[in-house]
Amino acid sequence: MAVTHKLIQTITVGSGGSASIDFTSIPQTYTDLLVLYSARSARAAVGDDVYIRFNGLSTNLSSRTLYGTGSATASYSDASVAYIGYAVGDTSTASVFSNGNIYIPNYVGSTNKSVSGDVVSENNATGATQQFAAGLWSSTAAITQLTIYCLNGNFKQYSSASLYGIKNS
Amino acid sequence: MPATYEPIATTTLGSTQNQVDFNTISSAYTDLVLVFNGGVTSTADIWLRMNSDTGSNYSRTRLTGDGSTAASTRNSAASSIFVSVGTVGTNANMIIHVFNYANATTYKTTLTRFNSSAYTAASTGIWRSTSAITSLTLKAEAADTFTSGSTFTLYGIKAA
Amino acid sequence: MQILSSPFYGVSGSFESIATTTVAAGGTGTITFSAIPSTYTHLQIRAFGQTNRGSVSYDGAQMRINGDTASNYSAHNLTGTGSAASSSSSLTTYMQLPWVGFGTTTGSNWGGSIIDILDYANTSKFKTIRALGGADGNGSGYVTLTSGNWRSTSAITSITFVPDGGTTWSQYTQFALYGIKG
Repeated sequence: MAVTHKLIQTITVGSGGSASIDFTSIPQTYTDLLVLYSARSARAAVGDDVYIRFNGLSTNLSSRTLYGTGSATASYSDASVAYIGYAVGDTSTASVFSNGNIYIPNYVGSTNKSVSGDVVSENNATGATQQFAAGLWSSTAAITQLTIYCLNGNFKQYSSASLYGIKNS
Repeated sequence: MPATYEPIATTTLGSTQNQVDFNTISSAYTDLVLVFNGGVTSTADIWLRMNSDTGSNYSRTRLTGDGSTAASTRNSAASSIFVSVGTVGTNANMIIHVFNYANATTYKTTLTRFNSSAYTAASTGIWRSTSAITSLTLKAEAADTFTSGSTFTLYGIKAA
Repeated sequence: MQILSSPFYGVSGSFESIATTTVAAGGTGTITFSAIPSTYTHLQIRAFGQTNRGSVSYDGAQMRINGDTASNYSAHNLTGTGSAASSSSSLTTYMQLPWVGFGTTTGSNWGGSIIDILDYANTSKFKTIRALGGADGNGSGYVTLTSGNWRSTSAITSITFVPDGGTTWSQYTQFALYGIKG
């Protein structure tokens, strides 16, 4: 019997930064996928939005988000992208990275792909973000590639993401 | 001896079905994690029950976002923990954590993340019983059904 | 339904149990994980507990790292109170994890929390904590997503939890530390 919770790959961004973190050639032998990521964006702001796409495609994506800012709460939706996370921006407290997870059940199944995302950022100030996200890729294709990217900036050095396979038998 | 994170049971529906039961759950683990992916017919909610208890021994507090409004609601003295939000639809996933399920001294606490094309939500629930959990049931509300192809997997996490 | 058995005794993949503390009769004031090995990439703490805070139904936890009691912490929360969504912040000498779900006047209500610390041994990053927690009391309760930060690039070697409002963790409270390979 295969191991249930198995590291597939870890990607750590080098000194030049990176526009995205890409997991390619994802083995099809697991049931669910889990991504744990720690991200900082080069955007000159408090934070940056993190999106997800699959198999190199940018269509049939949508999401709903619930978040807190340290003083207020809100919810919004996207009809053309899957907003799944958040990266600390470069005007936030130095050396701070966001902490997030992305869970994708049944990623090789023949149904649409429903995604769960939890992420927090931090800042030595009143404002910081805690966020839940529901993403959807309306495709029955198996996921073979997973990409996370920031909307406005590149991932900074030391940003990282680990991809795990979760097997149900 | 179980591994730290281990599948206990799994099922994929070949046709619509009102409920899925995980019975005779081993007491060898510390926490349980139940992962659901799929949908329900009609506008049904999804209910969670322990040990087939249909009494008013459940309650939950939840936090929801529907894409425009952040909200929080409560449900008390209910016959189930209502783990879903609104219209579940056909593209939903849910991760339910059940803590110290085999403890015969305390009430049983859950944490749930629910996601659909209409909502994202987190909730905490309680089953007011000190009995060890030996079965879990996920049920579509009333006579409604889970869609064919829905998957349900129960994992055990074992602390040292 | 497919019922599964595992011949892989002791094989746990990337997710491994490191240590567990279960509070004995009489309670305890502080729960500590020390000598945390640096051989993992991430940590997860799964907590189930109750404190002796009697004036209200719920309590939280003060989390400190490596014995640091200076003002090197920040924390922020997204909370569902059962009637409203709210958000708050604290900048102080510990990370305040509210509604990690502890404390009761009835004796039988318990809270649960999952606390994730990514890159806990990375000496290029401050340490960010993500905690999902809650407790429901059949007419009361909270569910919260908490962010926390310890402003230090030191590797985490110890973590302590003390009740935020009460003075002791109740018997049967359990904190379990897991390591995740990366």
